[in-house]
Amino acid sequence: MLEVRGLTKSFGALRACDGIDFDVAEGETHAVIGPNGAGKTTFISQLAGNLRPDAGAIRFAGEDVTHLPAHARARKGFARSFQITSVFHDFTALHNVALAVQAHSGRAGFWRPARSDRALIEPARRLLEEVGLGARADVPAANMSHGEHRQLEVAMALATKPRLLLLDEPMAGMGAEESQRMIELLARLKQAKTLILVEHDMDAVFRLADRISVLVYGRVIATGEPEDIRANEEVRKAYLGEE
Amino acid sequence: MSARLVLWSLVVLVLLALPPFVLYIDQPFYLDLVRRIMILAIAATSLNLILGYGGLVSFGHAAYLSVGAYAVGILGFYGFTSGWLHLAVAVAAAALVAAAIGAVSIRTSGIYFIMITLAFAQMLFYLGISIEEFGGDDGMRIKVTSQFPLVDLANPVVFYYVALVLMLASVYAVFRIVNSRFGMALRAAKSNEARARAIGFSPYPVRLAAFVIAGAMCGLAGALYANHTRYITPDLGSWQQSGDLMFMVILGGMASTAGPVLGTFALLFVEEILKGWTQHWQVFLGPLLVLSVIFFRRGLAGIFSKPDA
Amino acid sequence: MSLALLFEQLLNGLQLGVTLFLMAAGLTLVFGIMNFINLAHGSLYMVGAYLALAAAQWTGSYLAGVALGLAGTLVVGMVVEVVVARALYERDHLDQVLATFGLILFFNELVAILWGRAALFASVPRFLSGHIELVTGSSYPLYRAVIILVGLLTAAILWYVVTRTRLGMLIRAGASNRTMVAALGVNIRLLYTLVFGFGAALAGLAGLMAGPIYNVQPGMGELILIQVFVVIVIGGIGSIRGAFVGALIVGMVDTLGRVFLRPLLGAMISPTAGDSAGPALASMLIFVLMAVVLSFRPQGLFPPRG
Repeated sequence: MLEVRGLTKSFGALRACDGIDFDVAEGETHAVIGPNGAGKTTFISQLAGNLRPDAGAIRFAGEDVTHLPAHARARKGFARSFQITSVFHDFTALHNVALAVQAHSGRAGFWRPARSDRALIEPARRLLEEVGLGARADVPAANMSHGEHRQLEVAMALATKPRLLLLDEPMAGMGAEESQRMIELLARLKQAKTLILVEHDMDAVFRLADRISVLVYGRVIATGEPEDIRANEEVRKAYLGEE
Repeated sequence: MSARLVLWSLVVLVLLALPPFVLYIDQPFYLDLVRRIMILAIAATSLNLILGYGGLVSFGHAAYLSVGAYAVGILGFYGFTSGWLHLAVAVAAAALVAAAIGAVSIRTSGIYFIMITLAFAQMLFYLGISIEEFGGDDGMRIKVTSQFPLVDLANPVVFYYVALVLMLASVYAVFRIVNSRFGMALRAAKSNEARARAIGFSPYPVRLAAFVIAGAMCGLAGALYANHTRYITPDLGSWQQSGDLMFMVILGGMASTAGPVLGTFALLFVEEILKGWTQHWQVFLGPLLVLSVIFFRRGLAGIFSKPDA
Repeated sequence: MSLALLFEQLLNGLQLGVTLFLMAAGLTLVFGIMNFINLAHGSLYMVGAYLALAAAQWTGSYLAGVALGLAGTLVVGMVVEVVVARALYERDHLDQVLATFGLILFFNELVAILWGRAALFASVPRFLSGHIELVTGSSYPLYRAVIILVGLLTAAILWYVVTRTRLGMLIRAGASNRTMVAALGVNIRLLYTLVFGFGAALAGLAGLMAGPIYNVQPGMGELILIQVFVVIVIGGIGSIRGAFVGALIVGMVDTLGRVFLRPLLGAMISPTAGDSAGPALASMLIFVLMAVVLSFRPQGLFPPRG
């Protein structure tokens, strides 16, 4: 579903991504792990379309999307989730998701009230139910907890009917209970979707990933199934050992 | 919701009843004053669309007042007095200018956007001053008001009601627009631009469209203003006027339907009171505005009701 | 069009340029360090002009007028910082714009109350009123040459301070490093007040030097402030180097445009076209320039973090 070849990005003298090759098959959950400051964020930003690569190509479902900006990729079904600035704080949970539904529908309107538009509200409610926020639909996002924001983000990402979902550290900042709930949500999610999971939380990674790629200093040093990665000497030295 | 409807109904009733009352107590000045306030409230409402709901700090909005007003003036100068023509040209010209300025400015953001909209408006101001045929610095007189069938704008009371109807229509129009899908996209982009992009909205076209609509509406206000004052000067598009418009929006409470109307009434009434005391009223208004910004964040509408989410 | 005329106008452009730079430097400094947009910067320019004029008339000495004018503007600047700016550092730019807009109204009216609305005449002091010989043989007003010199000297001093001294390092550490600067034991509040005051003094200097050339009247600050905005947008907001380059460009384009556009249009199209469109286009020229620069460099020529 996703094919990355030779992705390279430098900032001045610093080579943040050095000719990365990366594949995601349809239906799989492919995790990307690696120490911070080793080019992971740069890699993700280029995948998502927030950053232009210096060299290399990204093909999504057979189409070259290397130079497509983020919102265009979202329209094609390749959505990034969990950036630092998360939700629309001035809107309720329901309207947050309704906005995502609206964006995906591509239909505009200058006169009819959007807040009572059933074509937007019904799907939004369903999505909220799916992620477990059904009861919190009318709560302003500003009043929700961090964990709920993350659930909301999953709902919003799902609203765009993505074919490939890029989850950027979904566990970050979550307590133990919230993490469990998120892992369960993602476990339900992975059955129907193709996911790229970028995470530090090894518990989540090993429970959810079908394959893992390890990114260290701009290079992929290993790719394989979780057990192989766990056993890999180089990976343990470079990364897992330090954890 | 209904509390707000009640309040609006009261306001409308008061405004409807004003002319007969004013004529009864023989103070036609107030008719003029309130009419002027309502016309400027249209301009403030248009600014609220892009500033309050869109988060675009456009410091050159008065330029569209000027464009609208001069459209009427210039057409009249050449003998075209049809009111429909005046309105059409005023709105179209303002929309065009807004499209041109917006196309360049909206690609920037933050402080750049503020300075750039200010600079472009000033450019138009200088342009206006330098064209001698239409009065240049001194401005031009409007000899004949826009001619409409049935409605005579030269009649102060008739014009008052026209202004009232148009003001209510603009407020309603903005209300519908900001609650539509388009409005939601605009507000989403204001609330969290990165997020809006991530879900697939492209802020630029939405903002540009809002900018043009706001400009067009302000052009309409300008056309009315020309008919009201019968004498227009380039000062109508000055940045002092733009600043005034911004205060009308802020004082009333941004991102609320009633805000711009309340703010316009508040600001202009305060101005009138101060003008009554001294010719140097700005030396008091200035600090009042400073204090209002420092201490009075939510604006007047915040007192009566919660702003729209 | 003679070479001598061209050279003279280039010098005029340079003179306007350094005046704009003095203003732009103060404005961009305050923005770069405190993230504060001060619309009333033009008012400080005006205050400088009025205070210098009043002080010179009161003491009978031009130089005393200059000194008192500068000192006075510095004080006014610091008062504005303490009373108004300080309350707004944490607020968004919109609030800062609105509040300083209120200050403009206040200062313009205050000046009108104290000195009236009519333009005042500020004369060039005797010892600066001569002419100098240019390489092209023509003569150029000494006063304008002095302005150019003072402006360039100030630019040089600023460059030295910002790039070579510890104070300059603090300045460049900027708003993004408040905690670091505070950790160095520097009193942030004092630093901000001094920076603001210094920026005000630069504006005051520009104002008092410009007095004899342009009119001293209420609102004089806003006329030049718009050009200063164009300078900063073109140069890059927050960059002193950008302010310098931008100021020279804008000064040149504006001056040369006003002088040469009408005859140019007159020669190329027709004299009537030149007469009617010339002045109008000339006044729009720097804005068109700004639009052009922005179309390929939306952050200006030297964006500070670029």
